[in-house]
Amino acid sequence: MALLEVDDVGISFGGLQAVDGVSFAVEPSEIFAIIGPNGAGKTTLFNLISRIYRPVSGRILFDGRDITGIAPHEVARVGIARTFQNINLFDTATVVENLMLGRYRHDRSRLWQQALATPFVRRERLADRRHVEEVIAFLQLGKYRDTMAADLPYGVRKVVELGRALAAQPRLLLLDEPSSGLNPEEKRDMAFWIQDVRDGLGMTVILVEHDMSLVSAVSDRLMVMSSGRILAIGKPAEVQRDPKVAAGYLGG
Amino acid sequence: MRSRKKTNYAEDYRLFRDGATAARFAVLGAALLAAPAFLPAYYVSQLVLVGIFTIAGAGLMLLCGYCGQISLGHSAFFAVGAFTAAVLERHGVPFLPAFLAAGLLSTAAGLAVGLPARRLSGLYFAIATLAAAFIVNEIIVRWESVTNGASGLSVPRIRIFGFVANTEPKLYAIVLPAALGAMLVVRNIVRAPLGLAMMAIRDSETAAQSLGVPLLRVKLTAIGLSALFTGIAGALYAHEIRFIDPGQFTIVVSIELLVMIFIGGIGSMHGIVLGALFIITLPQLVAVAKDLLPPAVAQQTGLQAAVYGAVLLLFILVEPRGLAGIWRRITHYCSQFPFYRRGSLRRARRFAKSETW
Repeated sequence: MALLEVDDVGISFGGLQAVDGVSFAVEPSEIFAIIGPNGAGKTTLFNLISRIYRPVSGRILFDGRDITGIAPHEVARVGIARTFQNINLFDTATVVENLMLGRYRHDRSRLWQQALATPFVRRERLADRRHVEEVIAFLQLGKYRDTMAADLPYGVRKVVELGRALAAQPRLLLLDEPSSGLNPEEKRDMAFWIQDVRDGLGMTVILVEHDMSLVSAVSDRLMVMSSGRILAIGKPAEVQRDPKVAAGYLGG
Repeated sequence: MRSRKKTNYAEDYRLFRDGATAARFAVLGAALLAAPAFLPAYYVSQLVLVGIFTIAGAGLMLLCGYCGQISLGHSAFFAVGAFTAAVLERHGVPFLPAFLAAGLLSTAAGLAVGLPARRLSGLYFAIATLAAAFIVNEIIVRWESVTNGASGLSVPRIRIFGFVANTEPKLYAIVLPAALGAMLVVRNIVRAPLGLAMMAIRDSETAAQSLGVPLLRVKLTAIGLSALFTGIAGALYAHEIRFIDPGQFTIVVSIELLVMIFIGGIGSMHGIVLGALFIITLPQLVAVAKDLLPPAVAQQTGLQAAVYGAVLLLFILVEPRGLAGIWRRITHYCSQFPFYRRGSLRRARRFAKSETW
């Protein structure tokens, strides 16, 4: 069964149909890329899945459960984590604190327990901290642990944001332009991590990306969007041969 | 920055940063415990006020400093706490239940303000809470049968079973544990998921939400807790000044509390206490300065307000991290002593982020 099923989803802003009757399904442990020209509706689609926007039409099913109507913060609780196109870190917090916030969805302690710092809260925090350390080791963020997020170089900020999403241990990871603004070396690292997240941690990944070399290197399937609609879905090689895609996006 | 080698994860969840810090706080705690023994009563009464404003500041810091929501309504919660305790005790209710009721009622007032206001942020939130300050003050003035209106109420002494707090040191014995308790609870919350969620809301609501932080509930919790602390402080304040009337609980108090945490250092535990120390000592300093100034200046009305304004402006321009920021510089300088370099703490000058200030 598909992990994520997007069924005829649409939204419009004013007169603009930003996403128009889009349907697709992502299988568990798949790396699924979405490409398309600016304004194609890729990020809007992400915002619909993570419920920043409420779809006007259609349904979104996650693991068979309808998540179209749930509260925005519930999306993280069902197991979907995301990054943002223009990095959205907690700037006045350290890297460790940012990653600890990734653990928030697993928090089960009550207010009075937190206020009194009961042993339960302490144990939970230690377990979270240990998990965060695994993410730090995986992404090689060791030397930035106690650095304020605002003081980090751009490339590292991108990695920290990925780390924050990973710390949440989601089943589905949404990456919005993970390689934009990175230098070639950082891009190679990012491609490696995306593959490793799937192979090693078993997460399903959907990414929006402009860099075709990264997309062809990591993705199992590819969806091309233009003007809010799907142009093509398939294996990267197939899609690149599709004449509609060539005409509509890749420019022949 | 001085870097420390950590050897286990628990170090990121400690009450104090390291053993030396804990020892320093233990010495400070012992000094505070012993203070009434060697300080004149007047200074003890000033310490009582510092303690009371520390509690109120702890509440406001949670909401403004950590959650990033500016409240102009805290005079309302302060007043609810003070009048609830005073009215109940005048009707013969013992101190402890009255104190508890003051806390509960001010929390309720906080939640009543928070329910509509939690959907707002920035300036709009501030204005919504401003309304609370006016409404509560108006209620206290008009509800004469209970609050005695504008003529005010005298407040009975604190009585806990056989213990009567009829001297300043005895009052101090009640306020000090309350202040320490408030600081401890705030510290616990700040290092727990709730505190992190508040800071997340302050820095980016979108990102916080995407990680599963329920924005409205966390904001409401912050307002409720904030009102609880401020209400408790109000109840103790009533017993310290022993006569309360609505004129002492106007919007000016809200602004004083805000100035206090800003000058103390927004988003810092040290800032709460330093701010409270500042707000209590400044009037004394102004009084001393008055004797030294030429009469034409010293006799001006509003001298104290002008000094407040000037100090606040100076802090915003020079050290947005407040007294806590200065404290950090001093300790940093000492720890680095002969090797201190200018600019090694440059990031201390970054402003706390919020869309509107």
